[in-house]
Amino acid sequence: MMSKRTMRQVFVYGAVCLAILLLPMLINDDFLLNRFARYLVLAMVSMALALSWGYAGILNLGQAMSFGLGSYCMAMALKLRTIPVHTGSEGLPDFMVWNNVEALPWFWKPFYSMPFAIAAGIIGPMIVSAILAWFMFRGRVTGVYVAIITLATLVVVNLVIIDQQWATGGFNGITDLAQLELFGITFDAYSATTYYLIAICLTVCLFLALAVTKSKAGLILQAIRDQEDRVRFFGYDVALFKTMVFCVSAGIAGLAGMLYTIVMEFASPTFLGVQLSLSIVIWCAVGGRQSLVGALLGAILVAGMQGALSESEVFLDTWTLVMGALFVLVVLFLPNGIASLGEKLAEKFGSRRRAAAEPAKRGNAISRSTKLAEGK
Amino acid sequence: MTAHLELSDVSASFNGFKAVNGLSLKVEKGELRCLIGPNGAGKTTALDLICGKTVPSGGSIRFKGIELGRHDDYQIARSGVGRKFQVPSVFRQLTVRENLEVAYCKRNGVLANLLRWAHSADSDGLDKLAEFVGLSDQLNVPAAHLSHGQTQWLEIALLLAQDAELILLDEPTAGMTVQETQKTADICNRLKGKHTIIVVEHDMGFVKAIGDIISVMHQGKLLAEGPVAEIENNPKVKQVYLGSVGISGA
Repeated sequence: MMSKRTMRQVFVYGAVCLAILLLPMLINDDFLLNRFARYLVLAMVSMALALSWGYAGILNLGQAMSFGLGSYCMAMALKLRTIPVHTGSEGLPDFMVWNNVEALPWFWKPFYSMPFAIAAGIIGPMIVSAILAWFMFRGRVTGVYVAIITLATLVVVNLVIIDQQWATGGFNGITDLAQLELFGITFDAYSATTYYLIAICLTVCLFLALAVTKSKAGLILQAIRDQEDRVRFFGYDVALFKTMVFCVSAGIAGLAGMLYTIVMEFASPTFLGVQLSLSIVIWCAVGGRQSLVGALLGAILVAGMQGALSESEVFLDTWTLVMGALFVLVVLFLPNGIASLGEKLAEKFGSRRRAAAEPAKRGNAISRSTKLAEGK
Repeated sequence: MTAHLELSDVSASFNGFKAVNGLSLKVEKGELRCLIGPNGAGKTTALDLICGKTVPSGGSIRFKGIELGRHDDYQIARSGVGRKFQVPSVFRQLTVRENLEVAYCKRNGVLANLLRWAHSADSDGLDKLAEFVGLSDQLNVPAAHLSHGQTQWLEIALLLAQDAELILLDEPTAGMTVQETQKTADICNRLKGKHTIIVVEHDMGFVKAIGDIISVMHQGKLLAEGPVAEIENNPKVKQVYLGSVGISGA
């Protein structure tokens, strides 16, 4: 059933995931491992954006909203597992005490349950995105207006979280968290266990997203990207298809947000900041928005370079320039991102091989066309 | 028996300008109807109204006895109306085969399509379609690489894959060579009877080759209707559209 191209894709995706899973064997430094785990989380959001932007043409500038909401869900659950210094084991989170809050707000209470928190971290962003998508896509909002609306929504949610300090910790976010414990395993941010957790989540999400793009719905989404109106006249409810992919993307971003809280050990309004949201778009564009694995590697590459350059003494003053130059080069020479580099190479080698087999084929074609001309 | 498609007193206005003004038209099942008329007569708008791209400001459009005016465009498409636009609109980044897969839309729900592979078991039928319009060598070529004529063929193949009961063709031969036009006429003739077809065309040779009954529109209204020979000699039609040289000179 699988075409050659799909087989090659599955092979490449599998190889990348395997490399990610095997990395801890080579690294014996918990600090470095934590940093790589962080990059993997960012790669996950970038991949989620590629699903909606690259495949369905929905440029979501508010991708960080789903990411941030997921991150806060996890932070709330982990915060309730810490023992506050001043108020005892059944007491309020510290920042609530500082804000003169007397009882735990009702919407915090379900977060005593870890399964609820995990479900909320994925389904919550999906519901918010579904509502937003329903209004946008039913109203047939397209193109740059989608980008503006999603960005504006992100800013609104960000401001609400900063403003409601009594419940969210405001600017400081939610800090001083317990470590996640699941099935008796403790996930220390600076350990291989957390790295594996993230790597496995990333692998599952990557193949889930790949399955979506390989389904007939994925094909219809690509058709929507190319000619939205035409798809409608085949009887497909375009708004519903777009809402679906927007929500899947939000769910993956929400999961990534939860993992980010685990790896960073806090949640902060910057997790749903405009700056992060735009960075996601850049990672996606550099890696190649029409390739899931491209967007994933783009995030690792850019975030990794940013980390390495900003810390090396040589580039201390110039690292932003180097990053800028990279973006300009990619946009100029690889408009479809670094992923298209691989395809271009494959094409070159493929065409050389094809050229060798060409003469025989061409003979057939000529005889066929003469037959046609004779009316046979 | 009611007609397959019936427009009665339909109007459409854009900011007060009445592109279609009280148009009435009846098309029987399996008929191939040609719609001609000078530029701005409202031919394309009439097709837009039928397929739901434009919402009528008055009158009724009934397809198989169902009122279409109240439905969304995709719902109208589901009820069996296919449309080819004036400007070729195929999915340029997808291959020819993928284009056909998208057009093959018997099941159009989101969930049903999420749980299916893009390359369905029905693709044999789609391959035959590609052969029918002469694109079987281009199955794996992105649609963006096709020539203008081939893009038009692909569009017709898309309509066949969609298997719509009512097919609306907006200038199918625009920009085609004589041979290509001939081939399009062949296809239209082959579809006659199986599908109800409405063709908007300027090429009178093509209209003569395929049309039984011609409807002439002028200023948003139906001006005349009848067989080719009758229309050719209609003095009103001559005046507004064909000129004194007659139908063959247009």
